[in-house]
Amino acid sequence: MTTGIVKQSGTTRRGAIKTLAAGAAVGSLPLWARYTQAQTSEPIRIGFQVHRTGIGAAYGRWYDRTTTAAVQRINDAGGINGRMVEVIAEDDGTDPKRGAEVVEKFASQHNCDIGFGTLFSHVVIGSAPRAGELKLPYFVVSEGHHVASGMLNRYTLQPGITDVKSQVQAMAPFIAGNLGKKVTMIYPDYGFGYDHRDNLKPAIEAQGGEVVGMIAIPPSETSFTKYFPKIPRETEVVYHVMVGPAVLTFVKELGEFFGPSRPEIFGFIDSLEAVDMASPGLEFLEGTYFWEGMPRYAQPDQTGHDKLYRAAVGVDDNGASVSDPKDVSTYAHMFGCWETLYVIKAGMETAGYQGPADRAKLIEAVEAMRHMPLSDEHPQGAKLFNGKTHQVFGPQYISKVTDGKLLVVHTTSIEDTMYPDEVDYTSQAF
Amino acid sequence: MSICQYPPRFKGLTIFGLLAPQQAQAHASEQGFVLLLPTDAYIAAGTACVALTVLLLALLPGSVTAALFRPVAFGLRIRAAGVAPIVSCLSCLLLATLVWAGLYGPRDPLTNPLPLAVWTVWWVALVTVQGVLGDVWRWLNPWTGPVAVTRRLLRLPVLFRLPAWLGQGGSVATFLGFAMFMLADPAPADPARLATVVAGYWLFTYIALLMFGPRWYWRGEGIALLMRNYASLGLFGATGGKPGFGLTGWQAVAHRVPRAGAAVFMVVMLGTGSFDGLNETFWWLDLMGINPLEFPGRSAVVKQNAVGLLVANAALVSIFGLTVWLGLRLAGGDLDPVRAFCLFAPTILPIALGYHVAHYLTSFLVDGQYVLAVMNDPLARGEDLLGLGTFYVTTGFFNAQDSVRIIWLSQAGAVVAGHVIAVAMAHAIAVRLLGDNRRAALSQAPLAVFMVLYTLFGLWLLASPRGV
Repeated sequence: MTTGIVKQSGTTRRGAIKTLAAGAAVGSLPLWARYTQAQTSEPIRIGFQVHRTGIGAAYGRWYDRTTTAAVQRINDAGGINGRMVEVIAEDDGTDPKRGAEVVEKFASQHNCDIGFGTLFSHVVIGSAPRAGELKLPYFVVSEGHHVASGMLNRYTLQPGITDVKSQVQAMAPFIAGNLGKKVTMIYPDYGFGYDHRDNLKPAIEAQGGEVVGMIAIPPSETSFTKYFPKIPRETEVVYHVMVGPAVLTFVKELGEFFGPSRPEIFGFIDSLEAVDMASPGLEFLEGTYFWEGMPRYAQPDQTGHDKLYRAAVGVDDNGASVSDPKDVSTYAHMFGCWETLYVIKAGMETAGYQGPADRAKLIEAVEAMRHMPLSDEHPQGAKLFNGKTHQVFGPQYISKVTDGKLLVVHTTSIEDTMYPDEVDYTSQAF
Repeated sequence: MSICQYPPRFKGLTIFGLLAPQQAQAHASEQGFVLLLPTDAYIAAGTACVALTVLLLALLPGSVTAALFRPVAFGLRIRAAGVAPIVSCLSCLLLATLVWAGLYGPRDPLTNPLPLAVWTVWWVALVTVQGVLGDVWRWLNPWTGPVAVTRRLLRLPVLFRLPAWLGQGGSVATFLGFAMFMLADPAPADPARLATVVAGYWLFTYIALLMFGPRWYWRGEGIALLMRNYASLGLFGATGGKPGFGLTGWQAVAHRVPRAGAAVFMVVMLGTGSFDGLNETFWWLDLMGINPLEFPGRSAVVKQNAVGLLVANAALVSIFGLTVWLGLRLAGGDLDPVRAFCLFAPTILPIALGYHVAHYLTSFLVDGQYVLAVMNDPLARGEDLLGLGTFYVTTGFFNAQDSVRIIWLSQAGAVVAGHVIAVAMAHAIAVRLLGDNRRAALSQAPLAVFMVLYTLFGLWLLASPRGV
């Protein structure tokens, strides 16, 4: 038993029990001995804010699996500053109010050194202010633009995953240069869709293209045929970002509407994250394009870093669990947990982190980071961290569905993903 | 309902947009495939099945229906009266250990044994076993043993008499309290929170049992009444002092007519189960003004779920009462409407059980694996007691059309079977009450319409897109 839930349980359950026992043992020592004990063997405690229940639970399972694998690897290599890493996982129910409570528990009940791992944006937005008040470094893995927009605070950082603004804008050169200049967008009629609407249009126009149609679909819609006639005839590329339970229906109906003579189609893998591309109804996607945060399928030029990362997390060459080929992972997103943990490790080592008194030093150390080369620690690709905006930038992948698999046809440069700073968190006091 | 100042941006909200009340709902992806299934045809077939059952029962002689629910007695008698309190005490010890784990074990609800034991093993699995097989809770409940021991040691008499006018009001209230915690509390699976609630409820019931005696068990303790009601559906029970075996519902048909409070309780069991599904649908979220693709979390819908639960139950009790009353008017009987309500209320139970199985099947398929993982290594020492080896929890069966179809049809089958048995039970009771088959069929017309429509509703719930 070396990996998996049993091992994962080991990290959390065994860890918690050990901590209790250690706490009881340490409590019986004299004060000086306790101090020495703490200096030498106290683990680094990482509060893992995980979506175990609620709408983020499917992501939470894979975030947990990735986190477990990364921490295992860090500990196998000697931990951080000679101390083992212990993960304290708390479920936030994908609920912003509970998210804030979880952050509070990390700081005041569990004596965590940092908080980590939140994905859903509304939970990040609900939790970050409390982390700021408690002066708890809060490393999110959310992809939201809320960090770099300046909405949050100096204690909140996103160093392991790129944000939606840079992802969307980086797609424009490829779309306009290779697929067509006249784009029609189909997106859900709320915040998630607006992120794409507001960021893609100017980016396409900057490439000499034009958004000729914008079709907003009400979130509760489950049938889409009535919207397709609204797609302008001149459309060369359909850009879709549909999400929710009806997304498979959307793809099927879009295929039936266009038949064999369709325009080029570009989507975000968010729509089909963790869905088997060989699912019935998805045949229509053959030859269409997707953004991927990290390529789900092992590519012909797969790096050794991707290979190592896949093996550690227990994911096969098709992006599915090694124990069940139907259990497809959230591969485009979960690498963020792995990379963030290694940023935390590097930050703590640079800062000479000893305990909560060094939290500000840790943040300053991360803020000072710049280049993160492609490596086992950053298997998704080389990154550039912006200490002022607390946001990392990195390559994006565009894949074409080929024989039912996603084959990378273009990798963006980091420069394609950059945009002017909107905040300087380093000017804020701790 | 906006919970933050800025519009939340959901980078990462996919087809997994679903949840259920307490455990991880990684099963959500099956929703996308469910929407691709020909559920309209399945729903029509399921509803027709219930309607045909109604027709068949009306045409067949009443004696056939009565024969359906006639049990077969076993020859052997099992005498183990003294064992039950010991098992109950052991059960209490196990509960205490689980509460300790909830307070001091890992914080992750899918790693801590308490939430898994309460929500997956007990609420989903044991309640189903109780409804399918018979009364196992009589042995396993964590109160009767400790109360008997305390009473014996302290020679404690019953201190107070529970007022008769309360009827089963206490049971209804405590069960609704439990349902409120399950459906409206923001974090019913949080180990520490659950440990506090479980310990608090155990202590409350223990003290109440000491004060009021066994009467509290049947009139004040909602869980006990729920379990007793489900046990009355069990294949195994007692008939004429001997163990017996019969079709689901044979015991409920044979039992004496429940009192008004107990009858209301039965309808509340179904109302609660139905609301547990309804509150996740796009339809409900739309009604609450919530975007089904950006569910703001349970904290934001505490009041809505609490009020919805009460309103749903009040509505179902009223509709059921009206239906029964209408049936009696049609059949021309002079039966007291309250008594009629009590007579027919047990027919609701198989529907409630069918909903229970259907609603929790998907979460059980996932959370059951987490239970296995904990059983494999209960003390978190890296043991491999069950020989599972490397064990990853999977939700792959929600990612393929064929397996999703099997799961959906199993859920639908549970709902339809529940209704078919309910219709048969109602007919058997009506034949016994009114004597002839024609009057029985006439009295059943409104109830039959209710059952058919409720089948439609139940199957619609299963096929509906859900947003939490």
